[in-house]
Amino acid sequence: MRMDQTQRGWTVGSLVFLAISAVAYALYALGAPDGPKGGSAAGLTFGIVGFAFMIFAALLGARKRVPTWRLGRAQAWMRGHLWLGFLALPLILFHGGFHFGGTLTRVLMWLLIVTVGSGVFGAVLQNYLPRLMTADVPLETIYDEIGHVRQLLREEADHTIEALCGPMGLPKGADGNGQRAGGFTALRPIAGSAMPLRTSAAVSAGVSAAVAAAPEIVLLRDEESAPLRSFYATEMRPFLQRPREHSWRLADEARARSSFAGLRTLLPTSAQATLADLQDICDEARQLTKQERLHRWMHGWLLLHIPLSLALILLGAIHAVMALRY
Amino acid sequence: MARTRTTKKVAQRINLDYFKRATPLKRAKVWLSVLAPLLALGWIAWRGFARDSRVYSSGRLSAVHAVIEKQCAACHLEKAGVFAAKAENRACLDCHDGPAHHSAKIAEPQCGTCHVEHRGRVNLSAARNQTCASCHGDLRAAGGTSNYGNNIRGFEDGHPEFAVLREKMLDRGTIKLNHQLHMKPIKKSANGPEVQLVCGDCHRTAAAKGAWPYADEKYVSAKITYSEKDELMPVKAETMAARHPRTDRELMAPPKFATTCAACHLLTFDKRFEEGVPHDEPGVVHAFVVKKFTEYIATHPNELREIRDPDRALTGRRMVPSVQTLTSAQWVAEKTMVAEELLWHKTCAQCHTISTSPLYDTFLARWSTGGSTGFRAGAAGVAALAESLKLPVPTVAGSKTTQKWMPHARFDHDAHRGFTCQSCHEKALKSTEASDVLLPGIATCQKCHAPGPDHAESRCFECHTYHDWAKRKEVTPKFTLPVLRTGGK
Repeated sequence: MRMDQTQRGWTVGSLVFLAISAVAYALYALGAPDGPKGGSAAGLTFGIVGFAFMIFAALLGARKRVPTWRLGRAQAWMRGHLWLGFLALPLILFHGGFHFGGTLTRVLMWLLIVTVGSGVFGAVLQNYLPRLMTADVPLETIYDEIGHVRQLLREEADHTIEALCGPMGLPKGADGNGQRAGGFTALRPIAGSAMPLRTSAAVSAGVSAAVAAAPEIVLLRDEESAPLRSFYATEMRPFLQRPREHSWRLADEARARSSFAGLRTLLPTSAQATLADLQDICDEARQLTKQERLHRWMHGWLLLHIPLSLALILLGAIHAVMALRY
Repeated sequence: MARTRTTKKVAQRINLDYFKRATPLKRAKVWLSVLAPLLALGWIAWRGFARDSRVYSSGRLSAVHAVIEKQCAACHLEKAGVFAAKAENRACLDCHDGPAHHSAKIAEPQCGTCHVEHRGRVNLSAARNQTCASCHGDLRAAGGTSNYGNNIRGFEDGHPEFAVLREKMLDRGTIKLNHQLHMKPIKKSANGPEVQLVCGDCHRTAAAKGAWPYADEKYVSAKITYSEKDELMPVKAETMAARHPRTDRELMAPPKFATTCAACHLLTFDKRFEEGVPHDEPGVVHAFVVKKFTEYIATHPNELREIRDPDRALTGRRMVPSVQTLTSAQWVAEKTMVAEELLWHKTCAQCHTISTSPLYDTFLARWSTGGSTGFRAGAAGVAALAESLKLPVPTVAGSKTTQKWMPHARFDHDAHRGFTCQSCHEKALKSTEASDVLLPGIATCQKCHAPGPDHAESRCFECHTYHDWAKRKEVTPKFTLPVLRTGGK
């Protein structure tokens, strides 16, 4: 969720609430002869409100399980999760008088701090990373399908290289022909530059270009294709198969461009278009790798945030029961 | 051949049921979301099975109670198998006596109100100012009566000037001392070298070790017959007695003649003797003087015949040369009287308040030829003087040295040993009267003792005590070791 002008209401409301709470705490702490205590009326009030905020924040997960229920807008839930969850930390600090207390309360305080801290970290990431992804990963796909798309890209690259260099003994995909990962087809070539767009304009352009006459496919001789075959076998295909395994040259945009530029000088003119396709496939594969990395940053913090918040709610409930009982 | 992408083609490569398959990230999220609460629950259950209630403790205990950290029931007495929410007074009284504050108090707070536990390894006796101020902040409103300030909320808030300064009391001590004179370069004796005294030459705590630069070993080792008991300021009613005995490093011990004065203030009494009189009761001094002269004349009988020295006549009258022969008793009586006049009226009176006999001019009495002096001349005059020796010896007033100027509070010089004396007792450099009270005012203390992390402790407990430990009762032990460690009595 982006932190923009649309959050102003929640921001102001939360800050006002925090200021009022801080003033109330200061008056209570200064007036309490034996110092602020969680068990005092004011301390309990802070604790109850803070825990209520935590529970509300935790309910976001449940709310997501039932997206069709009419329980308010998802955006409102998300903002409530963000701001009320954030406010829970100062309220609980007020509750305990800034003392971490005993074992359970100490654990609870640290769980809360890590949970809120990871939440704030996640909110910051989710504020900036989507913009970064839009700029750096225009060929973004669905994260869950990245593996599958990468496989298609490899099959497409296999098909392309064999169309130019002849059979290379590369293993075939399940359907034999290979699905066209990027909409490319050697049998129905499209003139002009690639259109890395998914807009209707791009589709129109692609469709109109698709009617252009297909150039003749020239099979390169072995000595002509040798540099390309070697490059493909030793660098490009391993990169497409295991993009995260080594620090491949092709994983870096500038070094990849340099590699292809060098290769371009070694190949005949008839192979340049195919080489451009292969470079395009590499670019897309590299972007998918970057998308994976950004996605992990954008969602990896949840591996800490969600489990700890659940433990926090559970232990918080136990603390509340035990504290109120005794 | 060129590669292109269309929305349709891009869409075609996506498996439509992709969302049904869990990615590693999603799987990890689910597993961890199950695992974390389970771990938390398991931990609580494990502590429960181990009967370790510390997990629910609201904080670590103070250092003095650390030994019973696991034993919640030691303070939170169990009722029907359930811990009491609050530590009850009777649980505290199992180990501690808490003598009452004073009879005028109107509230009987719970022990835990002031001694707040579960705050970590803190000083449990360090009660907050607010606790004291809940009554002392407005004693009249609280319905109490007090000999002290009625609106004291803290050392820096409402605490009055120290009583002895506030009421402009005078030091009732009888020893005459000019501090200003002693703090300047001064001759050690009439013909001695010039010395510069420092405070520590005379003022030290009783436990302080080290040589006294102005001591006289003869006086240090001498036995004295007078009491050295020092007078304390009269204590106001219901002043709380301190819990711990004095360490003898807290307060300055009253300076003693033998260790601080004797090297300069010689108690010589006659040119025939280098030895001075004892620093003791006048009776002892008198006996000493008589003994010394008696012993002397026994070995120097030729001095019984005395030729009048005209040069000693200071009256301006014409002196007739004369010779006089005395008996030993007359000689001793005469010399004793002369010596004691010197002692009582000058040597002793320089520092002590002394009730002296009238000042007689023994020399004139001895050699007077007429009755103008009121004394008979010659041997008869001396005899009359000897009679006067039977008069009671003068009395020396008790020193009445005040050792503790703030009987209601606690002060520790040892804790302030890093500071020069005059940085607090600056009045000592200018004081000329022994009656001056040289106690620093509250403002001096407040320079360091103030709230805040960069100041010394300023809470009430630093100087005052709540419990009147004079009323302390002994506690009957109830716990046994090592059973206490495991929860039994």
